[in-house]
Amino acid sequence: MAIISREQIVEGLKQILGTENVITDEQVLKESSLDRYRKYEQVCEVYTQPIPAAVVYVRSTQEVSEVLAFANENEINVVPRTGHSAIEGGLETALKDSVVIDGSTMNKVLKVDEYNMQVTCQCGVPLQELDDMLRERGYTTGHSPQSKPLAQIGGLVATRSIGQFSTLYGGIEDMIVGMEAVFANGKICRIKNVPRRAAGPDIRHIICGNEGAICFITEVTLKLFKWQPENNRYIGYKLDDAQMKLGFDCLREVMVAGYRPSFARLYDAADAQQHFSAWLEDGKAILIWMAEGPANITPAIEEGIKGMMSKHPELEEVDPSLIEKWYSGLNWGPEQIAEEKEEIRATQNIGITTEVSGSWDNIYEIYKTACDRILAEVPDMTLMGGHSSHSYINGTNMYFVYYYNIVDCAPEEEINKYHDRINQIICEQVIKYGGSIVHHHGLGKARAKYVTQEYGSSYYMLKTLKQAFDPNGIMNMGTLIPLRK
Amino acid sequence: MKILGCFKVVPDLDAIVEQDWEVENQRAVDTGYAKLVWNCFDEGALEMMLRLSEFSEGLNVVFQLSALTVGREKTEGFLKTLYALGFSEGVRICVEEERELLFSPEWVSGLIAAYVEKIAMQDVVLTGTQSSDGSNQKTPYLLAERLGWPCISQVVGIEPVDGEHLKVVSQVSGGRMVQQVKTPCVLAVGNAPCAYLRIPTLRDKMKLGKRPVTRFAPEELCRDKGNGGLQLAALNPIDRKRNTILIDKGSPEENARCLYEEYLKERLSAL
Repeated sequence: MAIISREQIVEGLKQILGTENVITDEQVLKESSLDRYRKYEQVCEVYTQPIPAAVVYVRSTQEVSEVLAFANENEINVVPRTGHSAIEGGLETALKDSVVIDGSTMNKVLKVDEYNMQVTCQCGVPLQELDDMLRERGYTTGHSPQSKPLAQIGGLVATRSIGQFSTLYGGIEDMIVGMEAVFANGKICRIKNVPRRAAGPDIRHIICGNEGAICFITEVTLKLFKWQPENNRYIGYKLDDAQMKLGFDCLREVMVAGYRPSFARLYDAADAQQHFSAWLEDGKAILIWMAEGPANITPAIEEGIKGMMSKHPELEEVDPSLIEKWYSGLNWGPEQIAEEKEEIRATQNIGITTEVSGSWDNIYEIYKTACDRILAEVPDMTLMGGHSSHSYINGTNMYFVYYYNIVDCAPEEEINKYHDRINQIICEQVIKYGGSIVHHHGLGKARAKYVTQEYGSSYYMLKTLKQAFDPNGIMNMGTLIPLRK
Repeated sequence: MKILGCFKVVPDLDAIVEQDWEVENQRAVDTGYAKLVWNCFDEGALEMMLRLSEFSEGLNVVFQLSALTVGREKTEGFLKTLYALGFSEGVRICVEEERELLFSPEWVSGLIAAYVEKIAMQDVVLTGTQSSDGSNQKTPYLLAERLGWPCISQVVGIEPVDGEHLKVVSQVSGGRMVQQVKTPCVLAVGNAPCAYLRIPTLRDKMKLGKRPVTRFAPEELCRDKGNGGLQLAALNPIDRKRNTILIDKGSPEENARCLYEEYLKERLSAL
């Protein structure tokens, strides 16, 4: 907790950044005390977390360094943020008189290096703008998470984000070349851009996924890929919901055979109806693949997947144009968020997601037992389902999707009565069967309480990293490592 | 009091790909892949019915809620949702080719009127004022005419009075009108404040949502498929794009100066 007063914090920040970059407007501060983990509180405009002392906008790495050095000296908790699209509590200001450091004003694309196939940008570059600009030149980052219209590069790297085409391009950790970050004491570190190196541990991973709890990311260099949508091929099959185990096995079969489609998905019936209700019968799950890449490769992937799937009589092929049209209409951004808010207010019905991962031999049990327990133990559920959307040679993820009515419950109580309870059940089942409780949203503060179970004996390494780089405990406290009560 | 809510299940037009709005010579937009949603005006009407039913507690009036849709089999899931919310009867008039319905308010109103007159007499019929896909804005008026009942449009609220009367609030030019209406009547719901239908729990769906839907073939109800001699001649998308100039001179001050000097100064001086 800060050793100087709230007023002194604000004054000190103004001296570093200028008055215009230190925001103390009460509504801005309230809205900056939380993220979409507390979606219902956000909708009801009820703020239960400590209200930060200021939100500051930084314009350069040097300014970040000076702000962090000031915070470190005065033991002020800081919460790094860019696009404000976090959904696991990572942006909650858990301690009194915190400072939110907003990097969205550092939004320059510094270099597009088409020969070395990499792009360097500041932390506040919006991914949508970056990728749209690259696509006009015939390239892509290959990174396309659902938060694309909102998220910015710094936050994406900080949370170890993953995109819809990960089966081909990988997660953001596979796309990062080099980075620049600022640590709690103001030290600026740059990791150079090279294709690979074996000079000790890969220190990029101290930064990637740190969720603002170790450092502030100021600059990132990402790989580029050729953008060739004209070669895309779409493949889809429907199957009975009772055959979800077979669905996971089909995903596995494709991965093990060595194919690299850009997306590979399995929706259970409940979740599928949210996307494909126009033509998919009730009670049907759906498998989808998209092949992306050079013109002579995508037909081969399509043919290979179709060949394998033809051996499963339980599957029924879907007109690929239906998948293509669905894919083209996928959108989520500020308009959808505004509409969702209105709907929640009117219906008192809220939808949440939780993403986990598991190996091929336990993902079905994780999915099935978590869904069964939630339906049995949590009241007022209106939808419980999910999909797998990122597959690997050795396993896949599960994206639980659930909706519930909020009944006889004050906004302040919603998180305990419903959201945390559901999260707890999912985490318990994942830990029981040996998966990971977090696939790509970050631990945030919501799931930090399970960090010792998630890490086991390797928790020593995470804790040591935190202590070494943030000895005064100023970097986004409560994220990754829970606060002591 | 028997109240029938008539609703349409429509494609989510927000999900339609831009190029599909180019309908040159096709006289149809391909919406076959877009997820299905309640027509927004009908959704408000159905929620209004549920609220009316709740208001009635203590009034000694029993509101019997039924729902009817004209459409393909996929719409039955929506009727089952209504069962789970407490509707006592769900009816589907089976038309598998929904394009036939798009610009056919005469036919649709004929089918609904026939259901009310021949199968299950009602005291009140609620519909949305229009559908988001066809946007004909005719069905409730044609229905009222066929039944010989009064029709109130742009309804935004209803409250119970007694077994034969309702208090109906409707939007009129410059304000709201409150009327006490004797049933039977047709109410066309407009921009109601309760625009969203509540969501039933999975438990209610399991308990109440499994009852079969009552189905009718259109021919069982109404042989006349006529549409008043109207025939769709063309569909043209409205081009809402406007010419845009992006000013990017660097700083906000320079942008503002450029905006004023190059685009506003002359116009302002002409005022």
